Amino acid sequence: MSLMGTNSPALKEKNTRAEMKRQRILLIIAGLFVIYGIVFYYLPLFGWIMAFQNYKIKDGIFGSEFVGLRWFKFLFSDQTFLRVIRNTLCMGVLNLVSTTITAIGFAILLNEVRNTFGKKLVQTISYLPHFLSWIVVTGIVHDALSINGVINELFVNLHIFKEPISFFSHKEYFWPIVALSNVWKETGWNAIIYLATITSIDPALYEAAAMDGAGRWQKIKHITLPGLRSTIIILLIMNIGNVINAGFEVQYLLTNGFIKPVSETIDIYVLTYGVGKMNYSLGTAGGIFKTFVSLVLIVIFNFIAKKTGDERLF
Amino acid sequence: MNSKSKKKMQMSKWDWAFVIINTTFLVLFCIVTLYPVLNTLALSFNDGLDAVKGGIHLIPRKFSTDAYTTVFNIQGIKQGAIVTVARTVLGTLLALGANALLSFVVSRKKFMFRSSLSLFWVITMYANGGMIPGLVLLKALGLTNSFWVYIVPGLVGAFNILVLRTYMEGLPDSYEESAQLDGAGYMTIFVKIISPLCKPVYATIALFMAVGHWNSWFDAMLYNRTKPQYTTLQYELQKLLSNVMQQSGNASSSGKTASTSKVTPITVRSAATIATMLPIICLYPFLQRYFVTGLTIGGVKE
Amino acid sequence: MKSKKIFALTMACMMGLGAFAGCAKKKDEILNWNFFAAMHGSEINDGNEIQELIAKDTGIRVKETWLAGQTSAEAIGSIVASGELPEFIDGGDGSEELYKAGYLVAWDDYLAKPEFANLKEMYSDKEWEMFKHDGHIYWANVFNNSYGGKPVSHGFNDEAFWIQVRVLEWANYPKIDTLDEYFDLLERYYKENTTNADGTKIIPYTCLCEDWRYFCIENAPEFLDGYPNDGSVIVNLDDPDHPKIVDYNTTPTAKRYFAKLNEIYHKGLMDPEFAIQTYDEYMAKLSTGAVLGMCDQWWNFAGTVNDNFKANKLDEQGMNYVPLGPTIDKGMTNRWYIGANDTLNSASGIAVTTSCKDPDKAFKFLNRMLDQDMHNLRFWGIKDVDYLVEEGTGMFYRTQEMRDKWADSNYTKSHCCMYAYFPQWGGMSRDGINTMQPGDSVSEFFAGMADPLVKCFKAYGYTAYNEFLRSTDGTVGIWYPMYQFSNNLKTDTDAGVAWTKMGEVKHHWLPEIVVADDFEAKWNEYMAAYAECKPEDFLAYMQKTLDDLIAS
Repeated sequence: MSLMGTNSPALKEKNTRAEMKRQRILLIIAGLFVIYGIVFYYLPLFGWIMAFQNYKIKDGIFGSEFVGLRWFKFLFSDQTFLRVIRNTLCMGVLNLVSTTITAIGFAILLNEVRNTFGKKLVQTISYLPHFLSWIVVTGIVHDALSINGVINELFVNLHIFKEPISFFSHKEYFWPIVALSNVWKETGWNAIIYLATITSIDPALYEAAAMDGAGRWQKIKHITLPGLRSTIIILLIMNIGNVINAGFEVQYLLTNGFIKPVSETIDIYVLTYGVGKMNYSLGTAGGIFKTFVSLVLIVIFNFIAKKTGDERLF
Repeated sequence: MNSKSKKKMQMSKWDWAFVIINTTFLVLFCIVTLYPVLNTLALSFNDGLDAVKGGIHLIPRKFSTDAYTTVFNIQGIKQGAIVTVARTVLGTLLALGANALLSFVVSRKKFMFRSSLSLFWVITMYANGGMIPGLVLLKALGLTNSFWVYIVPGLVGAFNILVLRTYMEGLPDSYEESAQLDGAGYMTIFVKIISPLCKPVYATIALFMAVGHWNSWFDAMLYNRTKPQYTTLQYELQKLLSNVMQQSGNASSSGKTASTSKVTPITVRSAATIATMLPIICLYPFLQRYFVTGLTIGGVKE
Repeated sequence: MKSKKIFALTMACMMGLGAFAGCAKKKDEILNWNFFAAMHGSEINDGNEIQELIAKDTGIRVKETWLAGQTSAEAIGSIVASGELPEFIDGGDGSEELYKAGYLVAWDDYLAKPEFANLKEMYSDKEWEMFKHDGHIYWANVFNNSYGGKPVSHGFNDEAFWIQVRVLEWANYPKIDTLDEYFDLLERYYKENTTNADGTKIIPYTCLCEDWRYFCIENAPEFLDGYPNDGSVIVNLDDPDHPKIVDYNTTPTAKRYFAKLNEIYHKGLMDPEFAIQTYDEYMAKLSTGAVLGMCDQWWNFAGTVNDNFKANKLDEQGMNYVPLGPTIDKGMTNRWYIGANDTLNSASGIAVTTSCKDPDKAFKFLNRMLDQDMHNLRFWGIKDVDYLVEEGTGMFYRTQEMRDKWADSNYTKSHCCMYAYFPQWGGMSRDGINTMQPGDSVSEFFAGMADPLVKCFKAYGYTAYNEFLRSTDGTVGIWYPMYQFSNNLKTDTDAGVAWTKMGEVKHHWLPEIVVADDFEAKWNEYMAAYAECKPEDFLAYMQKTLDDLIAS
């Protein structure tokens, strides 16, 4: 890691001795937090050694036998693991895309509401699901989509479905169900950040556009969306790293035998083969793989953002 | 008045269509969002066995407060509530202070290690040593079996820093510069100038943190399993839920099960959900006014 | 101003915490110890009356905690990793991990001393031998162990094909020998009865497939072939000197069983949601009395379901279940473990951990649990409060009021303290008159039953649930349970990987073949997927383990 950032020449000039002295307090604070970070975030990374061992609790990290890349070889020669990577990435991307689009869409639509009370009310309601735990949300989803559930009841009565659909018996419905569950739970909450950004857009821009005779669509297209651009990109870069964390609870709680081949994620795999069978080495190897994928994705997207001249994470 | 009516006059057919579609959409959105929550509320006030039969929508069919009685009768719920309030208040205040201070440092444009420090924290968002090293570390630091395990490990988080940093960077430099001319040091600038301006973002971040503290139970189970005095509200509820669901899994000889027969997992879970949601819901209208301005995020740009 | 208020509030909370911790220390001389079981259970209240009596007697108050939000393997995994142990622990399937990590105190020295005679008495030397790891005993199973070696239990805690007594009554209490007869009876009943009195639609048969509870669909081929539930594999005794491990997943019986499930699925007898229901939904379904029959373990459903029947008076309509032990063909013998003999499961039990500062005191506590007066206090309660003694005979009995109280969880939480995972006895008391556990007493057993159930018992002339199985053999092999070996398999061996994969494949394929339109084709696909898991690695390991066990 390079210790010096890219300082512009102008900045260097300002870094006079007096400024250095003033910055001492900043250095002390930064130093303290770096120590904190090293202890709580970086020190545990030594645990990664376990991935190259046949780790036994009794022997500890220092006493366990080294087995080289055995666990990584195991993972990548295992058909199940490869399938699980596919599931994780597909669900991760689907979730990311759908929650991002709905959150942006919701923020824009809500922003267009002129009635302050209505706006507040809708926004307040939209946060509610965020405070529900996944256990509760999956319970709701499971009930709503069951054969006797609300969705089937509604759509059969509306004659959209001929007969009730057993949503959880078919593999093809599962990924959309997970994505929609995420959308339901987080749209309102995720929209906060976009709404905040929209409010910070200079009102003069809108007025100028109105003068030019721009309608709502045009204003959204030419002012609001470009105004959101940098926020969207930063959040995308940040969240692209989490694509590999497509989830554990939702899939774990909603799965059944029929859909197991499409519902299992890396986290569930690690739980089954690693923690559940007390093979911590394998679990750690899975964790390292995830971190690796995250960082690669972030760096790539960060690089793209840099090339296109957008804001970036680091 | 005049300008408003003028604006209305200017609304085209398309604009009207937009308003209608938009309103319909948002109303539908609210229904879809609210229905399950109201359904949970209805279930929580319904008789347990009756609820099993299904078909309850928005109004309880057979009214009963048994589920709430069960929830509030949990043995450790009082202690859990005290600990949860303590960790929420203390944890939020301390973490907010720490994150704000660090973000202040990272957002100083003149600060030497600005970008490397950012990277240092961004990495922590994704790299993770796994469960065992984490446990071993906390034990070595003497944090297990203590209240502080709720506060210290999560003190600083990269996401919070990114949000706070963005906000602080967005503040006009002129405040800081004039204070600097008056001879104020960085700490004075942080406390007297930046922090008051950051109220909205502080409020937003505080709510994020408070929600996290309020809802957490896994740490209580993992680190304080044998210390009932450090139990949390959600952990007690979690114990109740697994117990209601599994009451039969307990016994291995007959005649041993003595269970609450009037409540069922459905109603207890509903009551527990409503009971834990309520305090947060009461809190957030007060913080909500800050949201609209408080939460922005940005990166670095040259 | 505001921040000051918040600060004051925080301080108040902190002081509250401090005060609580402080007073807990001062209260009395009694030690507050912890016990954790890797099972689900309900906590009793602080200040529980019988717990306080026991605390005064022994100087130890044990706070029991149970699983919450984790599986037992995860819980033991995190306990092992952190080394944060309670004084007493029952690690369940994870017991061996606790031992391997060096967290358990050996019992041997204590068992050798006369003051721990009660503990020693629990098992014969030969039985204790089976608990040994590295030549030492680290835990003792407390269940299925009858004083004097004679079980008197009337229950049946294991797996069977269950059926509602109203169905048997409707058919005039027939003898059901085979799987075909069982489903035939369900079909005939369903033809004439499709809804219950309250309008609930009847589900002739359901089958839980959720997560680890998928044993409800998975292991029946074992019993259908007349083998007992040794767990995870069949132990074939055709050659008594060389027991052979057989995989019950691939036997012809397995195929016929799943073909039968496939057939009843297409006939509409199978619950269409069988494979997608959660455990909660399954329990809810059973609780409404809608389900005529299913294959399950008693402990997995009976507690909740029977309570709900009682509360809704459904037991008076004959909704209660009795077990049946059908076989695939007529004339096969059943060899279920029906509790005619004690089944010793040496894979788990109560243990004292290295976190315990005074192991001597801990073992004295365990030993004291087995004294008759203490045992009566734990399971029968306080004399004249929870039970009465009949003059002359010395028989213990309860009034209906007492029974109701013991069925009320609010009462039991504040009054009863069984320490249910601590050393205990089944069978007859040392007085030779009473039973160690109230549920084993004949009068108490029948006192809690609704009429249709009693009628059913009478019609068949049975006095215990296990008699319904008509099992001829109850001798338990020294290898029992074989699942202790499969459950301890880790994914660092080929056998462990195979075992894990077999589970995954079965989880997916079993429901698929049940709903398949073309059974043959799907079955072949399933068998191909199953073979890819290399079950032979697993079976070879089990065979070797069995051979070693018999040799030693």
